[in-house]
Amino acid sequence: MKLRYLVKKELIEVMRQKELLFLMFVSPVIQIVILGYVVSTDIRHVPVGLVNLSRNQVAERVSERVRRSPLFAVRFESRRSADYLDLLKQGRAKAIIVFRDPLDRKRSAATYPEVQVLMDGIDSNTAMVAAGYFNGIIKGYILDDLARRGRGLPVAGRPLFRFNPQLRSINYMGPGIVGFLLTIITMFLTSASLVREKEQQTMDTLLMSRLNSLEIYLGKALPAVLIGLIDMVIGLLVVILWFGIPFRGSLFFLFLASLVYLAAILSYALLISVLSATTQQSMFFAWFSLILFLLMSGFFTPVANIPQPLRLLADINPLRYLIQIIREIFLKGNGIAHFWKDLLALAGIAASLVSVSLLNFKRFISR
Amino acid sequence: MGRIKAIIVKEFLHILRDPRSLTMVFITPLVMIFILGYSVSYDLDRVDAAVIDHSQGRLSRQLVQSIAANGVFVLHGRGASLPLDRAEEMLRAGALRAIVVIPPGFDRRLAAGAAAEVGLVIDGSDVNVANLVQQYSERILLEFNAGLTAARGATGLPLRLDTKMYFNPEARSQFFFIPGLIAVIMLMISALLTSLSISRERESGSLALLFISPLRSGEIIVGKTVPYIIVALLDGAVILLFARFWFGIPLRGSLLVLLAFALLYIVAGLSLGILISTAAPTQRTAMLAALLITMLPSFLLSGFIFPLDSLSPVLRAVSYAIPATYFLRIIRGVVLKGAALRHFWFEGAMLLVLCAGLLAAATRKFGRQRKAAQ
Repeated sequence: MKLRYLVKKELIEVMRQKELLFLMFVSPVIQIVILGYVVSTDIRHVPVGLVNLSRNQVAERVSERVRRSPLFAVRFESRRSADYLDLLKQGRAKAIIVFRDPLDRKRSAATYPEVQVLMDGIDSNTAMVAAGYFNGIIKGYILDDLARRGRGLPVAGRPLFRFNPQLRSINYMGPGIVGFLLTIITMFLTSASLVREKEQQTMDTLLMSRLNSLEIYLGKALPAVLIGLIDMVIGLLVVILWFGIPFRGSLFFLFLASLVYLAAILSYALLISVLSATTQQSMFFAWFSLILFLLMSGFFTPVANIPQPLRLLADINPLRYLIQIIREIFLKGNGIAHFWKDLLALAGIAASLVSVSLLNFKRFISR
Repeated sequence: MGRIKAIIVKEFLHILRDPRSLTMVFITPLVMIFILGYSVSYDLDRVDAAVIDHSQGRLSRQLVQSIAANGVFVLHGRGASLPLDRAEEMLRAGALRAIVVIPPGFDRRLAAGAAAEVGLVIDGSDVNVANLVQQYSERILLEFNAGLTAARGATGLPLRLDTKMYFNPEARSQFFFIPGLIAVIMLMISALLTSLSISRERESGSLALLFISPLRSGEIIVGKTVPYIIVALLDGAVILLFARFWFGIPLRGSLLVLLAFALLYIVAGLSLGILISTAAPTQRTAMLAALLITMLPSFLLSGFIFPLDSLSPVLRAVSYAIPATYFLRIIRGVVLKGAALRHFWFEGAMLLVLCAGLLAAATRKFGRQRKAAQ
């Protein structure tokens, strides 16, 4: 097993650098914990302003509900009309809630004021969610008011959330973080590995050894697989133990999918390494690909939202399938029957990446 | 001043000597904005749902009609009645997002003037989508209710609610993400550009020459930063123009204000890169650190994707140390809201403080290494 010595050499090279060790094993824990808290934060404390121009008691009662709600943070209150647009521009509030008495006489006899919500629509997602929260408050008020008079709305919806009954974001985002991390670490570790040998002119030494090209290739890839798997275990432990995300599926398929994914991503990284001339270039390519992989994987925003010609790019993104599989295993406890298509697609991508990268590697070696 | 100029000229030569890297610095951000501008989106315009109508009366059919007419819900299995367990299985496989169940007594109860319930089974795995689906269905039910009460002779819903979206009336998430992407990419490019400038000299051994030069450490650091300001600023301008003319992101404020802040922001990014470069032993570590330090925090803790108001106090405190936090607010404010200079004195001041702090730290670190080398 000559291969063993090359793997050992690569590992020694990694272990020699304290900074690299830190980046590989300590920073993942920090990243997952921070990432977990950030991505799991549901929209809360939306900063709002309350402007009450109504003499109606209802306005005050609804305002009180807004003040007490943890979903909103009241930044200012006023009883006078103001330049609302400028307040939104300043960014002091994401929404301004204005209560007014209706202008025409006939309606002002009614018991309710008019409510207007002026929203900063830039973050459309937060705006929609905040509007939903406010609708909820209004609806709650109306229901209580009707109930006091012995009435109710004719039809009430009773929502039931499957797979994640409390709608905890971390249950959805947390498992994905593991895939995210696996990608970052292995990609950067491997994409520079051959370039460095080129730059330091140690490649010739490696070529003169009696290792064949496949062995050199494996020697470069296997240490990263090992490190990736260790990071994966660390990540899973943090996600399950620290964040308490229920694990419902099969550990075997989780690791199988991860191994296939590692084959794909590592051969991609080695391809970068073969094709770039300097460390700088390889890092740049790695960075560029990483951002595309990440943002088109469905980790942050749904893949279904990607328009058609670009969807093809998402369809060949290996991270997309890994995240899909991890989520199905974690959240739904789905078995192979549900995600065999994703696993197959992932394997297909891995196979083609491995062959392309191996071919290029052989050509590069024989030069 | 003449001495700093020497360093500036030298760095410029470094940049021009490597046209391949320079083109990459200009092309990749454009490609990224192009792809991501289309791909990163929250807009939910299709919800696959099934309706199981056990009541089969006039009112229940009316409700199904109004769900179908909503435009967002795409209903499956309407003709033949879908058994609930089949629908649940489709929910598990991801073919459905929601199941609406209308109970058998629905029409009878409503006709008798009693209240009825509608069951909504929603796939909760993607919380964001689940929330939106619930909101859509709530709105449909609210309108259905209003119609019912109106038909019963009572006035419609008592409290009139009118919601207006400013700056982004169609609620396009591109308005949110594209200026954000500009900010994040500019920071990463700036930090990447300078992250190699000192570690490269260290690896090639020319750092010793810099150490024994008569220049003061501060002069060396500043001299190494200045040339990249021009590169990064040009880069930023190209990205901004692309966003303006390709994606039609409006520029409602003053370009001059934006440029002034962009300059500050770029200097902050470059200083960060220089600091990393000084601290890192090799180019590889320098780039890795630059990427990890700029990428994750500016993605996650700056308000690029996740609103800062919802974060826990500790993480909010961290966000104050990240340059992207301030520039994101500025660029979204100027570009989309047409905000003016006076709205951003705090953000501007914080960017200045960050620049000064980072430059000072880099100078100190460099000075110490220099002393140790002598």
